[in-house]
Amino acid sequence: MSDQASDSLSSSPKKNSLAELIKKTALKKIGPEDTVLVWPNLVYLELICMMVATAILLFLSLVSPAPLEELASADTTPNPTKAPWYFLGLQELLVYFDPWLAGMVLPTFIIIGLILIPYVDPNPLGKGYYTFKERKFSMLGFGFGLSLWWILILIGVFFRGLDWSWYWPWDDPHVHMPAGAVKLIDLQIILQNTLGLSEAPLVTLGRYAVTIGNLITWALFLGFYAVGFTVPFIFFRDFYRRLGFVRYNVMMFFFISMMGVPMKIFLRLLADVKYVLVTPWFKF
Amino acid sequence: MLKLLEQIRGIVNKTQVFKSIFRHGYPDTDGNRALVMFSNVILHLHPVRVQRGALKIKFTWCLGGLTFFFFIMLAITGVVLMFYYVPDTRRAYNDIRDLGTVIYFGSLFRAVHRWSAHAMVFSVWMHMTRVFMTGSYKPPREFNWVVGVILLVTTLVLSWTGYLLPWDQLALWAVTVGSKMAEATPFIGASGPFGPELGRNSGNDMAFALLGGTVVGQSALLRFYVLHCLALPLITALFIAVHFWRIRKDGFSGPL
Amino acid sequence: MADNKGNIEDPDVSRRRFFTLMGLGVGWGSIVTALGGAGLGAARYMIPSVLYEPPTVFKIGKPENYGIGVDTKLKKERQIWVVRNERGIYVMVAICRHLGCTPNFFQDQSLFRCPCHGSIYDTHGNVVGGPAPRTLWRAAISLDPVDGEIVVSFNTRQDPDPVGTPEGLMVEEAGREVEPYFLKV
Repeated sequence: MSDQASDSLSSSPKKNSLAELIKKTALKKIGPEDTVLVWPNLVYLELICMMVATAILLFLSLVSPAPLEELASADTTPNPTKAPWYFLGLQELLVYFDPWLAGMVLPTFIIIGLILIPYVDPNPLGKGYYTFKERKFSMLGFGFGLSLWWILILIGVFFRGLDWSWYWPWDDPHVHMPAGAVKLIDLQIILQNTLGLSEAPLVTLGRYAVTIGNLITWALFLGFYAVGFTVPFIFFRDFYRRLGFVRYNVMMFFFISMMGVPMKIFLRLLADVKYVLVTPWFKF
Repeated sequence: MLKLLEQIRGIVNKTQVFKSIFRHGYPDTDGNRALVMFSNVILHLHPVRVQRGALKIKFTWCLGGLTFFFFIMLAITGVVLMFYYVPDTRRAYNDIRDLGTVIYFGSLFRAVHRWSAHAMVFSVWMHMTRVFMTGSYKPPREFNWVVGVILLVTTLVLSWTGYLLPWDQLALWAVTVGSKMAEATPFIGASGPFGPELGRNSGNDMAFALLGGTVVGQSALLRFYVLHCLALPLITALFIAVHFWRIRKDGFSGPL
Repeated sequence: MADNKGNIEDPDVSRRRFFTLMGLGVGWGSIVTALGGAGLGAARYMIPSVLYEPPTVFKIGKPENYGIGVDTKLKKERQIWVVRNERGIYVMVAICRHLGCTPNFFQDQSLFRCPCHGSIYDTHGNVVGGPAPRTLWRAAISLDPVDGEIVVSFNTRQDPDPVGTPEGLMVEEAGREVEPYFLKV
């Protein structure tokens, strides 16, 4: 009941007199017959849940006690070193991005992005029930990010072995993979070599020698965001109108950044690109 | 037999001691069932009546409640484990080994603590996914979603600080990697973008503040111990309280 | 009473209003300052001024003890590799530049490979694969004038900015073989 009451409060800020509230609540017709007593209905449900959970915990604990590795030693890193499963998505990201990005900026973006979800989703439908049809975009967007996270975790758990190389389940996990296959190049060098650009810097800003290749990588990077912001604005004008200027830009920034993560991973995997952008202060 | 038990219950319910503790009779009438929820500090987390939808397992999957249950389990087993653990780099590893070898049920408590931690991380993710899928973060519950995300973060940080404590190889290297990430923080890390330009070095940056030194050693172990056993559980409990209070105020978003 | 438009001026009221506002400003200002100061103090509190950590300057024996190639025997005790080439000796810090794990040396491949995230370095410390953003550190070394042993200063490190090439992140070897990071012995 309080649900509907507070809903009507927020949806009609002008008229939230008590009479109005009662009228609205009454219209939705939630009488006592739609509610049940918490004791015993909910309390016993919770008790059962707790009993089942305790039983499962005890069973798991007896079957598989907590492991203890060798005494900590700063000189020898176990090979491979795997974090617990819930951090393996992060550990896998660290293969493709520099630590400042994968370890700090991306997790911060994920947390801020999650926090912002309720404030950038103006869709009033689909509240309190499972639905895909009424909120396709938010479901797909969230599902994409979530599955990316879980796929990275699964890769970390099942497909990484010695030296953090890729091991298929049928590979012998005790034999080192050859290291020769990984030769990574910066995007600006690929551009220089394929387009035959000059390596001489156009301008030098302190430590920063800006070459043509470097400028093109900046243009590609900024162009990626520019296209991401513009395309929905032009082709899905309704979508933009529903969100409004601020919501649209905030949401799109995080959405495009999220899409950028797998793109960088594919650039690394398919084109052996180490960095898209190179500056003296950070590489990305 | 049943009749005898009921008679005993009737007598017990009328004693001064029972009445001094419980302000209600046996909850077999609607009035007493409401009173139970009113007058019991723990059960008072709940309202007296809920919508039918809130009881649907297929709606909530009990995930929020399970997460809270795992937190309680962790608090209890954690306190028990603290009796035998000294956060000293020379002792910690052996203390943990003793739990598995010379202390009755030590291995079991440690295993339950570990499995509860795994379960809590899993259920907190699943709970968040469920809340998203049912759109339960939509107005007026936006802020409770924010509190939930904060709880997700504290849960992960609790796990991370927890696995340094056994002082084994996993502990050391997981925390080494984590502190290197802190070192790579932009602006406040010694190896992060613009860190050196702003005068950060290994003696005054983010990682140094986290570890209380330049290596993962005694000060780091003590810091993580205090964070894991005291600071973070308190913060988490505080946010859990806010989380629950907001649910009570805003109600369930579930179907009728 | 003076209204917002200010067309009725009562000097008493506006003076009272001024002092009230000033009092509020000073009051809240002091509270914010005090809390901010306490916050900064707490942050500084978390950064210790004295450390009780193992020594970072140590001796590793005479140069004659190290033959051509990478010597890994001090990795466990001191977290360093001692490398001798045709020109002299340098000491590399056995800390991966990606996230601080200890790489392993593979004699057959002449490569250092990190078990955590798969960074690969050659014997000069150049990054030939994997996610590491910089080349391996080299520690400052000198000869003790008394007993002729090599003195390693673990925390004084050479850290040149590498150049991206098709072969990996490279640094000119000639520029690296300079005092105090190289001994011509």
